[in-house]
Amino acid sequence: MSPLISFLLFLVISSLVIGNSLDRDNRLKVLSVYVLAMLLLSSSMISTEWARMTSELVDDETDHHHGLPDVWEGKQVVCFNFPGENAPGEYDDGRHHIDSDGTKFLVDSNWNGSGACVGGFSGFEIGIELLDEAVIASGGDFAYNYTQFSFGIQIDSIGGIEPCDVAPCSEDFSSGAWWGINHNGQLAPVGISDLPLENDSVITLTIVTW
Amino acid sequence: MFDAHAVTLSPFETLILNVSLLMVIGWSMWRAERTLSPGSDLLILALMGVFAVSGRVLLDPLPNIQPVTVIVLLAGIHFGSSRAVLLATSVALLSNVFLGHGIWTLYQAAGWSLVGISGSLLSDKMHVSGIISPSRVAALSVVAAFCFDWVVSLSALHSFGAELLPAYILSGIPFDMLHASGNVVFAAWLSTPLSEMMSRHSRSRTVVMRTVTTPT
Repeated sequence: MSPLISFLLFLVISSLVIGNSLDRDNRLKVLSVYVLAMLLLSSSMISTEWARMTSELVDDETDHHHGLPDVWEGKQVVCFNFPGENAPGEYDDGRHHIDSDGTKFLVDSNWNGSGACVGGFSGFEIGIELLDEAVIASGGDFAYNYTQFSFGIQIDSIGGIEPCDVAPCSEDFSSGAWWGINHNGQLAPVGISDLPLENDSVITLTIVTW
Repeated sequence: MFDAHAVTLSPFETLILNVSLLMVIGWSMWRAERTLSPGSDLLILALMGVFAVSGRVLLDPLPNIQPVTVIVLLAGIHFGSSRAVLLATSVALLSNVFLGHGIWTLYQAAGWSLVGISGSLLSDKMHVSGIISPSRVAALSVVAAFCFDWVVSLSALHSFGAELLPAYILSGIPFDMLHASGNVVFAAWLSTPLSEMMSRHSRSRTVVMRTVTTPT
């Protein structure tokens, strides 16, 4: 259940209990102060939850946040894109959205593919730091394995899925697949361990084939 | 050299200070009203204006919580539309001298004026057996909070198109709720004492005149 719904239920039930224990003359005075205090103390949570509930997807195709919730405008985001319905576990029915505190709040069922975007971050300067934080926020659902090379790291699998699990790869290397990294809609010129970020960077990990 | 003002208050300490100041202003207003002769409606409106402006400025750290809406509503109930509009517009302008004046002042004045006019129109419904009903005032103040906020939201049309207005209003619902619940607190605690003060000076009171016959 949404934290906002839980809070409102608690507020209504506790107000009824408190209201019944008060005499008629003081009921409105005491209850009004109680409700206001509860709303003030919870205002941050209420605003955040409400923003998630009412958020819409950015439809400006020139914006590199295109297709992402508008509450993430100006924030950093990591997207894990899987072809078709090949995303791990519960993420195979579209593109899910997970806020930086781990809250799942919006599913784009019309997305051409599956997976999830984890966003709402700020202050990260290098791609790998943001990626690690996104993995933590997803509860480890998109944990990755990698190989360390002298030029940086190469991601081997995400969420237990290797590129060749979901894309054609031949033994003679005439065809194959790898985890590619896009930064703000462009192929990243360096590996994720060296990728410099902007305040509103969107990193997209997607399976690329040749 | 000593810097006697080099005291930094936390947000909570500032709030306590501001609420204390507002209580002092309220108490002083109550004492001052006692010295006024009955029927001093413009003077009591001025006192209400001072309290409303002070309340709005001092409670500014609390999001969207201020006593103006309830005071203007009560002014409409007791003094009628024209005086409520005068109070609403003056409070919007004077408080924005401290909080920031701009195009939104016009919309705030319009919003609070509508609140005052609705109080005037529904004046009879706000009384039970001739006495102001705090619960009815509270209910009307909840509606007034949302209406006022939506009127003020119209000022955003100067910045973006009408197609974004519904989303803008929708995103402000939590702040509207805070305004509404703040209004209920003010209505619960202030509607009876403020109504007593206002009704002592309201010129719209019914005066029953009878012919006095002297015994011959």
